[in-house]
Amino acid sequence: MNRSPFLRRLMTALARTPAIGIGIASVLLVASLGLAYHNEDQTRFDKVREVEVQARVLAASLAGPLAFDDETATHEYIEALKASPEFDAVGAYRLDGQLVAGFARAGEPLPATSRAGHPIVRGNEIIVAAEVAQGGTRLGSVYVRAATESWARRAGRYLGIAIVLVMACLLVAVLGAFYASVSAANRRLEAEIAGREEAEEALRQAQKMEAMGQLTGGVAHDFNNLLMVASSGLELLERTTDPIRRDRLKDGIRQAIERGAKLTQQLLTFARRSPLSPEVIDVRARILALQDLLERSLREDIHIEFDFADSLWPIEADPSQLDVAILNIAINARDAMPEGGTIRIGAHNYPAGRENKHDMVRLSIRDTGGGIAPELIDKIFEPFFTTKSVGTGTGLGLSQVYGFLRSSGGDIRIESEIGKGTTIFLLFPRSSQSIPRREIREGALSRAGHDATILVAEDDEHVADLVCEMLRELGYKTQRAATAAEALRILEESGPFDVILSDMIMPGKMNGLELAHEIIRREPDLPIVLMTGYSDAATSAATEGFALLVKPYTMEALGEIIGRALRGECRPRQPVDQ
Amino acid sequence: MAHIRVCVGLLALLATTASAPAVAQPIEYAIKASYLYKFAPFVQWPPTAFASPTAPLTICIVGPDPFGKMLDDAVRGQRVNGHPIEIRRIEAVHPGIACNILFAGSEAGNEMLRAMAHEPVLTVTDRSHGGTGGMIQFVTIGGRVRFAVNQAAAEQGGLAISSKLLGLAVSVTR
Repeated sequence: MNRSPFLRRLMTALARTPAIGIGIASVLLVASLGLAYHNEDQTRFDKVREVEVQARVLAASLAGPLAFDDETATHEYIEALKASPEFDAVGAYRLDGQLVAGFARAGEPLPATSRAGHPIVRGNEIIVAAEVAQGGTRLGSVYVRAATESWARRAGRYLGIAIVLVMACLLVAVLGAFYASVSAANRRLEAEIAGREEAEEALRQAQKMEAMGQLTGGVAHDFNNLLMVASSGLELLERTTDPIRRDRLKDGIRQAIERGAKLTQQLLTFARRSPLSPEVIDVRARILALQDLLERSLREDIHIEFDFADSLWPIEADPSQLDVAILNIAINARDAMPEGGTIRIGAHNYPAGRENKHDMVRLSIRDTGGGIAPELIDKIFEPFFTTKSVGTGTGLGLSQVYGFLRSSGGDIRIESEIGKGTTIFLLFPRSSQSIPRREIREGALSRAGHDATILVAEDDEHVADLVCEMLRELGYKTQRAATAAEALRILEESGPFDVILSDMIMPGKMNGLELAHEIIRREPDLPIVLMTGYSDAATSAATEGFALLVKPYTMEALGEIIGRALRGECRPRQPVDQ
Repeated sequence: MAHIRVCVGLLALLATTASAPAVAQPIEYAIKASYLYKFAPFVQWPPTAFASPTAPLTICIVGPDPFGKMLDDAVRGQRVNGHPIEIRRIEAVHPGIACNILFAGSEAGNEMLRAMAHEPVLTVTDRSHGGTGGMIQFVTIGGRVRFAVNQAAAEQGGLAISSKLLGLAVSVTR
């Protein structure tokens, strides 16, 4: 909108109250009254001049008749003026002031004597007495009395303008009121839109949580298995002394722990409340990363197969929503196969052709379940439509898929055959951008004799011992603090340190993030690495640009991030306000 | 504008004149005296007729003077185009005489005026007293003093007479 600031301010003011519109209308009214008064004045002035001119013309004509006492001619001239209704009285006077001829139509009669003088305006009358002269010789005078426009005629003249004016004022007032009401409606609409956006955001989160709920059973079951591996492995470890057997048991335990850590990490990432933000995605990599979660959320009797075409085009979509969509469809497929079966997830390029105008990437999820009845196919994407029994499904799953596809500019298609299975096709438009490259992680486990000293702030004694042990193993010297306050004290007394590694959630007045701020205030160049197992804390640290280790982490990850910190690559993105 | 106007209404003053000529005689001359100078504003003299813009306009009475003091009274304080009015009473005329208006009141004047035919002098005669040679001739119609204009004679003398005056004349000779 290209409205000038003044106009915009005016419109805003108009929107606030219709009284301003009425005010403008009143100003308009007063201005036009003033104009009318001025106009009236001007008209009277013009009228006086007009009458003066008429009188002079008459005087010039009467010069001869008055000089040589030709009453007939005098009469004729004066009679000529009688035809005009604007003249109320006209008279011709000799030099000695005596009336020669004249008439008086209305009002007072002609004066008996008259001499030339200035025009007189008296009420509705204009009186002009002009000299009759020839060649500089005064010969007499004429008297002309004319009525200015009557009130009735003047009112008639102004009535038309007045009607137009009143209509204009009315229009301004009505427009003002209308604009005000439209603005109010607009404000309400904007508030509603904002509310709806919030609701949609909440719905997305709810849909995610719904999917999570569907996963939990499988994940918990999987965790039990992992814990089983770990606990029984430890028990067996205590009972055997055979080094080969011990090594194998240790490997088994480590693998179980790694799988558990990966699984919780995926769950945390999945559950994180994140705004919708499309990214360029490699579909294959994204779905393969989801594999563990998928396998664990489905049952053992369900087999998952992947079928990806080579050199898939990238797509542009919100990655976490894509995860949720795949999980939702997979869970539906699982529930459609109570006797077990196969879920086949594939992706192929789908070039522009007869059916689609643009290049697309077609994702397909096929199950070998019972299929969907044709009359239900159109309904399955409706929110809260479910064929599941009460308490087992909300009916939000596929509606999330539908909403996600629509917001990504894609499309969704279903093929289903009763008794054979269902295939759901997700079509995403091809992205013109390329997939951003991930940084290649350096081998961080080398004991390159760093000799650097690291201050570890961690309240949990066991975790602290383990972390310090790992750091020593990596060739660093360590010192430990149990609280933020202790860390600051040690920093002052026993420094200097090369890196500060701090937990984010610690008891005491100061948490890890606040400790980091305080350290930056004191020593801006000292690298800080934060660690946490809590996703919200991780988000706030990441927002401020701190280097972050998410628990549980491996020695490799620890070594890598400490290495980066020592190279000065771990600085907050922006100066911290204190 | 050369049509003849016929008087219908008579002023009381002139009615008296018509009903009692003997008494009215001086009044008739009073009117003629006032007309005599009132002709001046309606007449345009050639520029050479006046020495300066404020030089007097001279009215000459040749021969017997029928106006006497009335003419002097009539012109007192009057000006024509900035010229004060001066009255001269003379016995005879000759070309080049310093007169702007010349009134010859008797029959004898006709002969004298013939010599002035080419002079820029407005000659006025009184037809009721036999004076027929003037550019303007007083006539009495229905007891009222009117005048006839000989425009051709005036043009011969280099004078221009206003159409306003011609319009009031009882007759105009072109």
